[in-house]
Amino acid sequence: MTPREPNEHAWQLPDSVVLPEELYLRRREFLRIVGLGFVGSALFADSLPAATAGFPDSLNSSFKLDGVKLTSEDSITSYNNFYEWGFGKEEPKESSNKGWKTEPWTLEIGGLCANPRKIEVNDLVKLVGGIERRNYRHRCVEAWSMVIPWDGFPLAKLIELSKPDSSAKFVRFTSFLDREACPGQRSNSLPWPYTEGLTLPEATNELAFVATGLYGKPLRNQNGAPIRLVVPWKYGFKSAKSLVKIEFITDQPRTTWNELASDEYGFYANVNPSVDHPRWSQASERVIGGGLFSGRRPTELFNGYAKQVAHLYEGLDLRKNF
Amino acid sequence: MKWPANIVAHRLFALTVLVGVGIWFLIVPAVSGNLGANPLEKLLHQSGEIAIWTLGAVLSLTPLRVLFPASALVVALNRHRRAIGITACIYGLLHFGFHILYEGGWDGLVRSLTKPFIWFGLAGLSILIVLTLTSNLWSIRSLGAKNWKRLHRFAYLAAALLIYHQSIAGKGHWHTARWLLFPLLGLQLARIVKTLYIDRFFQNWPTPGRKHSVPDRPINQRYYVWPRSEAGTISAEQRLRLRPVALCHLPWIVDRPE
Repeated sequence: MTPREPNEHAWQLPDSVVLPEELYLRRREFLRIVGLGFVGSALFADSLPAATAGFPDSLNSSFKLDGVKLTSEDSITSYNNFYEWGFGKEEPKESSNKGWKTEPWTLEIGGLCANPRKIEVNDLVKLVGGIERRNYRHRCVEAWSMVIPWDGFPLAKLIELSKPDSSAKFVRFTSFLDREACPGQRSNSLPWPYTEGLTLPEATNELAFVATGLYGKPLRNQNGAPIRLVVPWKYGFKSAKSLVKIEFITDQPRTTWNELASDEYGFYANVNPSVDHPRWSQASERVIGGGLFSGRRPTELFNGYAKQVAHLYEGLDLRKNF
Repeated sequence: MKWPANIVAHRLFALTVLVGVGIWFLIVPAVSGNLGANPLEKLLHQSGEIAIWTLGAVLSLTPLRVLFPASALVVALNRHRRAIGITACIYGLLHFGFHILYEGGWDGLVRSLTKPFIWFGLAGLSILIVLTLTSNLWSIRSLGAKNWKRLHRFAYLAAALLIYHQSIAGKGHWHTARWLLFPLLGLQLARIVKTLYIDRFFQNWPTPGRKHSVPDRPINQRYYVWPRSEAGTISAEQRLRLRPVALCHLPWIVDRPE
């Protein structure tokens, strides 16, 4: 028997309009996403965001940032330093959305801890008890800043569940490696995969956050889908995107930008207006969304989070340990 | 002059291209709202890119003229050397203007002036300003051709400073600079090799504007340039000197056919 032409009968449907089985099986989530209003991203199975669990969430009122204007969603999703997807800031939006899938996505939690595990992101969200929204300042080492409404959960919760050993002093975060998909990873400009690190006290601080979304929607690929780190008192490059591994270790880990240019990017990378980058001043920052003649905003120590984190660095020379 | 050299040689062509680049990369995106989330940064980077590529363009003209003396297109392009050089300086000044705006005023500007990264840019721009101010007949006359030429060789220093400035502008990488640096170095190298060989073995070369050291012999007896076919009679001794001495000569010089 010869196979039928796709449109031989009017009642026949081509495969392309049929809901894929995996979507059908997750149709309640699918319906909820459509209900939330991102028909566009949900219709294309390719760019379907992976970490959909927990939405909609609600704002944690202790992280509201009263009187601060949120950066527009358009700016946050179109102005990204994500070198895996290209060196220009507009490139990631384009190049990361050509069918790159974050579904399924497994995060490995390991190293020196009692409960190492490999876990799917949605299961992880359920395990930590859902997500909340926090408005955080985001300060890039390039002296620009945003205010971003992240959705996610405190890193401390994940660490608590993992029960790190007493010998664990640092946490290492590793991003994905996909040389086939990523134009940036095909060049050796950076030592891939991207790795970052925090001390254990930093990682368990109430501000350290694991984001799975922003503006109440699952993270877009260019923002580090499906799961990323957010450390608001440090320069943006510390907040590693698209994590595949979190490890508890004894020694200070090598971190990507520090390895590449240790005089410019320190391990701590705390936002500090009095410690300049060798090429530019960190005393002030350009607020994204301000327009051409908006001027600059003075940068605050620890990005305005000194109350929560200054105690972590007592007795430490911040000029040397930049 | 044939197409497209006749078009390229026209003043209006140069003006259109040099101003058009600014309109296309600065004004069109600004008017249509396509400058992105950080519009001033975009203008800053675009104007800097235009400036340095324009400088690269003008610096490639001399080597091109040495390498392809017979090309009408190269000759036509060489007519616009002054206009292109001045344009590079104007876009550079625009870039500096955007830098002042980006730093948000006096305090930011002063703070930025403490950074070597900015020194390189400013040093390069200062050279371009001096060269622009002396890019007129009066300056050539009052300095004397020799001194003027010496002064304008500082364009190479400016290019070196500015390419370095551009390369360290990116975050810890200099991959952007290689697209400009390596072609320019390659052209210069080819030019040097060619000039050295010509000077050593042929004394001179039919470059427009270059004085020939042996003016008594007609051009077609001194070398054989493809595709010109008419050749006078030359002695065996002279013929020996016409032999190609390096691979780089092959496209231009061939031994005189029997």
